[in-house]
Amino acid sequence: MAYYDSFVIPFLAGTVFMFAVIAWKWCRWIWLLPSEDKRAISKGVFTSATPKAVWEVISESLLHRKIFRVNPLLGYMHMSLAFGWFLLIVVGWIEAAVELGAGTPLHAHVFFRYFDPGAHAGGNPFATVMDLLLLMVLSGVVLAWFKRVRSRAMGMKRTTRHVLVDRVALTALWFVFPLRLAAESFMAAIKHNGGFLTGGLGDLIAAHMDPAVIAGVNSVLWWLYSFALGTFFVAMPFSRYMHIFTEIPLIFLRRYKVRSGDHTKSFDNFQIQACSRCGICIDPCQLQRDLGIGDVQSVYFLRDRRYGRLSDKVLDNCLMCGRCEVKCPVGIELNTLRSNSRQERVDSPALTRYDYLKGTDRSSGSGRVGYFAGCMTLLTPVTLRSMERIFAAAGEDVWWADRDGASCCGRPLKLSGEVNAARRIMEYNKEQFAAHGISTLVTSCPICLKVFREDYALEGIEVLHHTEYILRLLEQGRIALNAGDTVYTYHDPCELGRGSGIYDEPRQILGMAGKLVEPEHSRSDAMCCGSSLANTVIDDGQQLRIGAAMTTELERTGAGCIVTACPLCKKAIVRNATLPVADISQIVAERLQVSGT
Amino acid sequence: MDKRVVIIGGGVAGMQAALALKERGAEPVILEKEERLGGKLRDWHRLFPTFTPAAEVLEPLREGIARAGIEVRTGAEVECLSEGGAVLRGGECIEGGATVICSGFDVFDARIKEEYGYGIYDNVFTTVDVERMFNEGRVATAQGGVPQRIAFLHCVGSRDEKVGAHHCSKVCCITGVKQAIEMKEMFPSAEIYNFYMDIRMFGPGYEELYRRAQLEYNINFVRGRISEASQTIDGRVQIKAEDTLVGRPLKMTVDMLVLIVGMKGGSRNVAFAGSGGLTVADNGFMQPQDSFLGNVSSGRKGIFYAGTVTAPKNIGESLNEGVAVAARVASYLGL
Repeated sequence: MAYYDSFVIPFLAGTVFMFAVIAWKWCRWIWLLPSEDKRAISKGVFTSATPKAVWEVISESLLHRKIFRVNPLLGYMHMSLAFGWFLLIVVGWIEAAVELGAGTPLHAHVFFRYFDPGAHAGGNPFATVMDLLLLMVLSGVVLAWFKRVRSRAMGMKRTTRHVLVDRVALTALWFVFPLRLAAESFMAAIKHNGGFLTGGLGDLIAAHMDPAVIAGVNSVLWWLYSFALGTFFVAMPFSRYMHIFTEIPLIFLRRYKVRSGDHTKSFDNFQIQACSRCGICIDPCQLQRDLGIGDVQSVYFLRDRRYGRLSDKVLDNCLMCGRCEVKCPVGIELNTLRSNSRQERVDSPALTRYDYLKGTDRSSGSGRVGYFAGCMTLLTPVTLRSMERIFAAAGEDVWWADRDGASCCGRPLKLSGEVNAARRIMEYNKEQFAAHGISTLVTSCPICLKVFREDYALEGIEVLHHTEYILRLLEQGRIALNAGDTVYTYHDPCELGRGSGIYDEPRQILGMAGKLVEPEHSRSDAMCCGSSLANTVIDDGQQLRIGAAMTTELERTGAGCIVTACPLCKKAIVRNATLPVADISQIVAERLQVSGT
Repeated sequence: MDKRVVIIGGGVAGMQAALALKERGAEPVILEKEERLGGKLRDWHRLFPTFTPAAEVLEPLREGIARAGIEVRTGAEVECLSEGGAVLRGGECIEGGATVICSGFDVFDARIKEEYGYGIYDNVFTTVDVERMFNEGRVATAQGGVPQRIAFLHCVGSRDEKVGAHHCSKVCCITGVKQAIEMKEMFPSAEIYNFYMDIRMFGPGYEELYRRAQLEYNINFVRGRISEASQTIDGRVQIKAEDTLVGRPLKMTVDMLVLIVGMKGGSRNVAFAGSGGLTVADNGFMQPQDSFLGNVSSGRKGIFYAGTVTAPKNIGESLNEGVAVAARVASYLGL
């Protein structure tokens, strides 16, 4: 066999093993996809989604543009390893194809310098390029070492604690490129086939070492290099490095509109194994920041779920505030995966328990606009009263869904994983909304809003949060505000901001009422109030500490009044604040211009 | 050694401690943030379970202080502790051989339980408001009417995880019983309801008073907390609750809703802890050295506690701690 040496065996065995495992995984996951996902894929393949996915693969899997936004140095580290290595393979393949001709075996490309047939008169341009690329990858490795010691310098206060298989793969990976440098340099000492880097080192070695020793060291180095590669490839499919290849099909599937859902399915595997455990999700987590809880973050949740050792303690200890989700460079649907894991485990309560709802109707009034205050709004009656005044001022006829008490929207059950029970409640509410002939449904609670929009499929009914509704009234001139000089600061509720993308409406309203100052973290980076219904592990005192930290930030703005647009957030802030705290509806109701005066 | 003892707070515990220390030959100085001595008791009308007028406790203490010539600094709000004493707002340091912290508790702010509508609805009151009305000699609804139906709600700000108060404030149960009886005496035809989780009658004569409230005064006790309140068009208060003994939800319209507010740790506790090397317990009150032999000691040399600064207590217990702390301070000072 041409271009063969026994040292290539570890590399070859590792490569075959790795690709076999990856192929097995992918084929299995695709095979197990529900038929609607398969349909979505076949519909999407011959559309613009495919070229878009190709571009996204280049920009994210190779260039890691999103990580550059977290920290340029961190971005460079990831890019130099991924893109640098990719180019080493591609350019190496071209060089081998040019020098050795087509049809040469794989190992002859990878270990080209070893099998390089002849001396290159006047230098080899490929060698220069390859040395440059090797230097680029090595700089990434150096940065990776540096990150171990000083992660803060790379924009990360905390980094992931890795499991054994990750450590094995990581160690092998760290050795791969220095060993390549050493092996190619010794080879260059013998064959004089290196570029500026390996060739230069080769000349140095040739000048100072005995040729017999060089030959001995050279063969050992190529063995070690091949062994490091083989080790990495064997560990790879079981370690975090599975993300290298898995992110690619994930990007394509996502472009074909395949998503994770209420129930676990095989597509989840693409998301879970596309997690590189980079740990960017750890720093944004307030459980980490304010409570020092360091083992429940998304990276650990995904890891534990992947290895089948997910505990309730990790699964339930999450505010589902979504701060990590917006930062995840891979764009994994972290909240969805967490809630469908919860669903997986839940032993649903007897669904007959909701039978009492049948036939009950405690709503009142009638109108095209329905108002659903939500449980928490009923517990913060200032908001309800303010909405009553606003509706009256706008001359709106309102159907009051729950002013006198009604059923829950279903989201708290859904967040705890009780999807079937939640569905029962949702169906009841849906019937109510349909029976009363409303065309608009206004709610004061972002938690209700999210579930109405995402799970109810309310045909012919537009669902609005009261901030959206109030802004519409203002824009239509149905109500007007007396502007004052109060300085407000606004807290973005998780479910309203990150959850439903409503950031501008409340700010526009407050801009009409007075002046607005932003806290340090706002909009998609806003803090969670800590009272999230999604977390069933932390106790009240811990909720309070999270709330205190975020309230302090709001008070530091120098505002005279803290405004939010979620009854749950309001309750959390009131407990900690020294400033007055108000729902946005209260500000509007207090500043309403009375018509005819 | 310096015989001067700095007493932070001139409520019943602080006054009693000062008197007892003076008797033992110390030179106490009372730092009181208000303009008059008396603490929370100044706002109280009569005391459970005997309906003793608050003045019968306060006046002898005040007179004793005056007679003994004890130094009293009123309008003196303590910012934090210093080495051997306290720092007043404005920066003045008052120092002595020992410090006794008798700064008491804060009343839970019922506005935090927004669902009960305190500060929003006209006819929602707290037990503190009711005592004030008793003192003013006129109890009436916001509209000026005679209440025909009054509901008391126990445990507002006590044993309530949702407001971070896990502790029992201890004296509110009997306060609710006392005020219910006083209301009944004032308005014999009114219906009076007490909504409770548990009734905890820990003191002498308390259980007996609770029985009398039911048997003689026909006050209704409903086991179940009120979940929310709303205002009716005529300004009354509609409450929703569950009678957990019969397992049924109930709705009721009342003329007055009285929230029996609990005690919480004083707002200065954190500052005291930070400046004096002391510990604030999880419940927000100061942590004494232990619950038994060291219950008026702080664990720090020269710093002692008396009264509700360490936990909810009734008047009698606070008075006892005033005497107890004097004994400890005296032996510390070698008097």
